[in-house]
This record gives sequence, structure tokens and C-alpha cells, in this order.
Amino acid sequence: MGLPGSGLAKGLAITLRTMTRRSVTAHYPDVQPELPARSRGVIGLFEENCTVCMLCARECPDWCIYIDSHKETVPATTSGGRDRSRNVLDRFAIDFSLCMYCGICIEVCPFDALFWSPEFEYAETDIHELTHEREKLREWMWTVPEPPPLDPAAEEPKEVGSARKAADKLAVQLAEQLEQEQLEQEHGEAAEAADPGTPGAGTPGPAADSGAAEPPTTDRPEKPERPDRSEPSDRSDRPGPPEDRRQGREGEA
Amino acid sequence: MSTFPANASGTVDGTLLLAAGRGFLSPTGVEITFVLVGLVTLGAAIMAVTSKQLVHAALWLVLALGGVAVEYLLLTAEFIAWVQVLIYVGSVVVLLLFGLMLTRAPIGPSPDADSGNRWIALAVALATAATLVTVVVDAFVSANSAWITLDTPQGDTATIGESLFRHWVLPFEALSVLLLAALVGAIVLSRRRSTASGAAPRTSTRPVAPPGPGARPRAGARTVAGGGPADAQPVADAQPGPGEQADAGGQSEQSPVNESEPESGRGKKEER
Amino acid sequence: MEFFDVAWRLLVVMLAFLVLPLLVGQAEHKVMAHMQGRVGPMHAGGFHGWAQLVADGVKFAQKEDIVPAAADRRVFQLAPAVALVPYLIVLIAIPVAPNGVVGQVVDAGIFFVLAVLGVGVLGQVMGGWASANKYSLLGGMRTAAQLMAYELPLLLAAASVVMASGTLSLPGILDVWQWWWLPWQLVGAFVFFVAGVAELHRPPFDAPLAPEEIIFGPLTEYGGLRFAFFMLSEYAGIVVISALTSVLFLGGWHGPFADQLGWLWMLLKTAALCFLVIWMRVAWPRLRADQIQRFAWTCLVPLALAQIALTGVVKVVFL
Repeated sequence: MGLPGSGLAKGLAITLRTMTRRSVTAHYPDVQPELPARSRGVIGLFEENCTVCMLCARECPDWCIYIDSHKETVPATTSGGRDRSRNVLDRFAIDFSLCMYCGICIEVCPFDALFWSPEFEYAETDIHELTHEREKLREWMWTVPEPPPLDPAAEEPKEVGSARKAADKLAVQLAEQLEQEQLEQEHGEAAEAADPGTPGAGTPGPAADSGAAEPPTTDRPEKPERPDRSEPSDRSDRPGPPEDRRQGREGEA
Repeated sequence: MSTFPANASGTVDGTLLLAAGRGFLSPTGVEITFVLVGLVTLGAAIMAVTSKQLVHAALWLVLALGGVAVEYLLLTAEFIAWVQVLIYVGSVVVLLLFGLMLTRAPIGPSPDADSGNRWIALAVALATAATLVTVVVDAFVSANSAWITLDTPQGDTATIGESLFRHWVLPFEALSVLLLAALVGAIVLSRRRSTASGAAPRTSTRPVAPPGPGARPRAGARTVAGGGPADAQPVADAQPGPGEQADAGGQSEQSPVNESEPESGRGKKEER
Repeated sequence: MEFFDVAWRLLVVMLAFLVLPLLVGQAEHKVMAHMQGRVGPMHAGGFHGWAQLVADGVKFAQKEDIVPAAADRRVFQLAPAVALVPYLIVLIAIPVAPNGVVGQVVDAGIFFVLAVLGVGVLGQVMGGWASANKYSLLGGMRTAAQLMAYELPLLLAAASVVMASGTLSLPGILDVWQWWWLPWQLVGAFVFFVAGVAELHRPPFDAPLAPEEIIFGPLTEYGGLRFAFFMLSEYAGIVVISALTSVLFLGGWHGPFADQLGWLWMLLKTAALCFLVIWMRVAWPRLRADQIQRFAWTCLVPLALAQIALTGVVKVVFL
């Protein structure tokens, strides 16, 4: 403590110093806050991706998601084929007066139909208006930002890893084949076995062309295919993945 | 609502009047003001005496004292006026109110705020008033006494200081010695009471303090059945073990009553 | 002519009484906020919330005038006026600039000022008692105790200046003031200022109000305009105490170009002291009621007596 009154002097000094500095107050209504990209403001619905699987509604701890749907029959595309049925979304609503912003619905959605948006200014004077219906939820999708880039030293995403593993495997196979061909040529044998009948040939990755020339680890596929995109056949008429659409929209804006 | 502002503005008027050198208020104006303020003072004083509500009486007293201060002002005794406000209104009445609040200051009338000897009090008051009036009349009016001449201002600070410290130094010093004696007496009284009140509990609790840490574990061990150490602690404080008494030696003034009380308390605890 | 002169002076004093406390209040809003890393009021009036206190006043005026059922109605309603009016009266006697720029020259000015200041505290005591509320009564008692404790050092410190100058008149004191009185009366200045702040119940001496403990003490039951009057009296008190300290100890209008800029010097000194009052509120914790008493009797009174002794010795030996 030292000198008597030194504590008082320190108090005066600290307050005076604080006064000369800039205050930390956020001038919110005048200046919008800079929210991080993953802020949990409101939940947007990308309804084109929704298959009415009801996972979100069932996982929601607050039971604040309401989904109505009906089934439609899609006639067979080829003659003699079987008719298919698919779910059509009638109502999708989130009651934000109940929602606790846990984000479980977004986590569980297998088809990437729900997204966080950092928008937060949707207070209402009537609590009923906090139940955002399908159209409003769709509108929020315009405000969903680009996912931020990974940190420099971050672990690479699972999709990228699995895709690269497949590409590496393919590259190794191709290299082996090339070696075999060369060996066969050197041995003066006939080269009619040049056609690679290997299982990986159905999906030739972009790395397949230059596989032998470069070291295999640098071969990253430009765009990893997401396993969940290619699955259901009845979704073939749906538009592409949301990233593409969003980029297009940003261009419009 | 109207009483105090009226008083305050009266004060202002008095001040202005003084400083303006009796400009816009004619002498008769001063006299009128004097009489009015006097009436207010008198009424407030009567209210202070007759009010059944203690705090109201004190507040009426404020008004009365303030009115007297204004009268002083009107008599050009400025220094005395402000001393009156400072000492009586500012301090004495606040002290009075403080005392009332400390003891009892109910809102509403106090039935016992009446005194049986009010007639005696009235007589004393009348006698005092008569004496004062006689003296004042003698001082101002009588032709033979030249104590005070109204032509020269007598009440300003310089005059008072001069007369006080030049002509009346001895009485002044005697008064200050008297006040000093009163002060010393008050201190002595308060100290004696505090030591007396401090001594009384000390004798009764003396066996508690000196045993100190030694008493606790032993007493606690005896009262384990009664509960945890938290329960045992007060018992240990209140009742030293027999060995403690021997340790304490001459402090045998501990009464048997003191001893038996915790004993019975402990018995109850063990029953539980 | 004389009448108009007096009326004009009273008008100016009234204006100062209405404006200066608001300025201090606004300064407190902003200074306190910035000392705590905030910005304070920003919206009322547009530019940095300059009209916040005006908005507050409008709000107070709209509120219902409530008197508790058990309260002593008359005293309860009268108390804010008793608390407020003395500060208005005191302002009359404070000199602002040389050559008689003062509301009214009072011969025993310092006595007048201190006497009337003591009356103001009576209003808080009255309010504390009349509210019929335990917290209010506690606050009122603390107020009374604090007044009695700090009146003495206040008077003694003022007496030191009076001894030095040989006059009780505030303009008279300023007329004979010399710069070296500043170090000479330094201890007295400290005592006077601290005791004055304590009489206003400003932090760190705000145990009678103590919002976190006894909920504004005497003001607990007040609302609306009456509460606003109490608040106004507090800020008027800050102005008065700061002005008095600067007159008695800091030389009032003395300074370079005092003949033209005397009023500015006076205002500057007063403003600096007001800032100090606000600063102390922000920086320091509240003293307990018993600590307040001990500080007055064991620290300020001896210091004031020592100052008087010093003043006397210097006056007799060197002057």
C-alpha cells in the first residue's frame, strides 16, 4: 500500500486516464455492429434443399419448428418404369419466441437447408409475428454470408480429405498402369492392353491427367464433391448447391 | 408551504434593505416589516410551545428563530442575525431534530407532549419577557441612559468585534472558559459511562475471553453428541470447563447462575 | 434606478442559479461516463445529448406528485423548498468579478453564506423524517449527524481566511487577497472544500444517501418535481461550495487581466473545483457513517485548528 492516500491517488489517476481514452461504447442504432460471420442472429431456410425429413423439427429442444407437407407422385420417366413419390413442403415455420438459438436444427439438417444469418433486428410488438413462415425464412437466406475461409493452420475439411484420398489412390493406380505399360513396351510385347479397365475410371478427377508428372500430395481437386449431393434421384430437378446460388445473388445485388 | 419562503424572502429584503442604505423602503416600511415579522415570530413561538407533534414543534422553533434573526437584521445587527441563523437554525435545531429522531419522533401527535407545569412555565416566560422588555426599553428609550444610540450603527461586525475584544474581553474569556468546562464535563461524563457499561459485561464474560483456544476443543469434545463443532462453539464460549475455572485463578466472581444456564442449555441439546 | 439595479442583479443571480447547476449536472453525466469508458447521454438535443437534463426536467414535471399515506404531508411537501432556497440566497453574496460585480455586498458575507448553507441541510432532515420510511429516517439522521460534524471544520477553515484578511465580507476578502495566500491557506482550503463536499453529501461522503444501501435516504419517497428540486439543490450546492472555495482560498477573480477577465477566472476556478467534485465521485468508494464522523473529528478539526494557529502566527509575526 505504501503511502497513505496512494490508493486514492491511484483511483484518481486511473479515472483520469480512462477519460482521455476513447470510450468502448458501441453506438448501436447509429452504427451497426460488426458481427462475425457465424453469428447466430436468425435461421434462414433454403427450402429448395428441404426434403421434409423432419429431422430438424424432431431434434429441436424447444419444439419451435412447424412443418406441414404432402406427398406427390411423379410419373415414371421411362416407359415401364415405376412411379416415384416425393414430399412437397407446405409449411415451414420457426417460432423465434420459443427458439433458443441452439442451432441443433442447422447441425442435423442432412441436406443443408437451414443456415445461420447474423441478422438480428426482427423484434416485434406482437409475439405472434415472431413466428416466421416459410416465405420470411426464405427471405433470410439472402442475408446468409459466405462461410469464412479456414484458418491458415486449420485441419482440412473432411470432404476435401476424402476426395483427395480418392484422387491419390487414382493417381497411384494410373502411375502403376503407366509403369506397367512402359515395362510391357520395353519387353516388346503387344500394347493392346492400353485400355485401363480399372474401377476408378468412371470418375476421372482433374488430377488424373497430370498424376504422374507431379507429386501426388499437391493434387487437390478443385471442387470436392459432396457425398450428400449425388444421392436421391428424385432431387435431380432441384437447383444446384446453395453456394452457387448465393454467389449468383451477390452478383445481382 | 408558504411559511419558509416568506421567511427567506424576508431575509433577502432585510439584506437588501441594509445594503441599499434604506433606499426604497422608507423607515415606516422597516417598522411595518418589523411588526409583521414579529407577529410571525410570535405565532411560530406559540406554535412551537403548544404543538403536540414533537418534530413540528422543532420546525416551528426554526421559524421562530429565523424570525428573530430577521428582526436582528432589521435592527441593523447583521452579525448577530447571521450568528443566530448559523448557531440556532443551522446547528441547535438540527441537533434537536437529531435527538428526536434518535429517541422518538412519531408522525402525528404525541399524547405525552403536554406538561403538567405549563402554568409555571407560562409564568416564568412572562417574567422573562417582562424583564427583557424593561431592559430594552431602558436601553433605547430612557432619556438618562445613553447605552445605545440608534444614530450610529451598532450592529455591524467591526463594532461588535471592537466592543467584544476591547471592552468586554474578560467576560468573553470567562464565557469561553465556562464553555470549555462544559465541554470537558461532557467528555468526562460520556467516558465514565462508556467505561462503566464496558466494565459490567466484562466481569460477566471474563471467564470466556481468557481461556481462548484451549476451551474450544475440550468443550467441543463434550458436546459432540449435540451436533457439529458449529453447535459446540457457542457452548464452549459460554461455559468454560472446570479446568478453565482453575486456570482462571482469582476470577471466581463468575456467578453460579451464569454457570447453570449454559449447562441446562447443553442438556437440552443432548436430549435432542 | 436603484430598484432596477437590484432587480437586474437578482435576475442575473436567478439565471445563474438555474443554469449553472444544470451545467454541472450535464458535466457530471459526461465526465463520469468518460471516466468509466462510456459516452453518457447522446441523444437528447441531438449533439452529444446536451439537452439531457432538460429532458429529465420535462420528465420530472410530468410525473405524479405522490405523498406517502403515512407521511407528514405538510413537512414532506415543504422539505424540497427548504433544501433548495438557501442555495439560491447564498448565490447572491458570491462575488464574480472585481469592482462590485456581485449580487449583493453583504457585510458579514461569509457568515451569511455559511449560516444559510446550514439551513439547506434542514430540508433533507425534514424530508427524512416526514417520509415515514425507515430508510429515510436513517438517512435523515445521518444527514443531521454529518451536518453537525462538518459544520465545525467548515467554520474554522473559513475563520482562518477571515483572520488573514481581517474582514468578513467576501468582496473584501478578495480585495486584499495575495497570491501567496494560496500556500499559506492550503490546509484550510483542503479542510473547507472537503467539509463542504461532506455537507452536500457528495461521494465519498454520501452515506446519508447511499443508493445501494438505504436507497437515497431522505429522498427515498420523493418523486417528480420534488425529487428534482432535491437534485437541483445538490448541484446548486456543488456550484456554491466550489465558488466559495475559489473565493476564499483560490483568489476568486484574481488572475492575469483581472479587470477585464475577472469573471472568467472566477468561472474557471469554480468549474475546476466542480470537476474535482465529480472526479471524486467517480474515483472513490463511499465512507461508512462512522468513518465519516471519525474523519471530521479526528482529522479535519485538528487540521483546521492548526491552520488557524498558523494563520495567527503569520499574521502577528510577519504582517
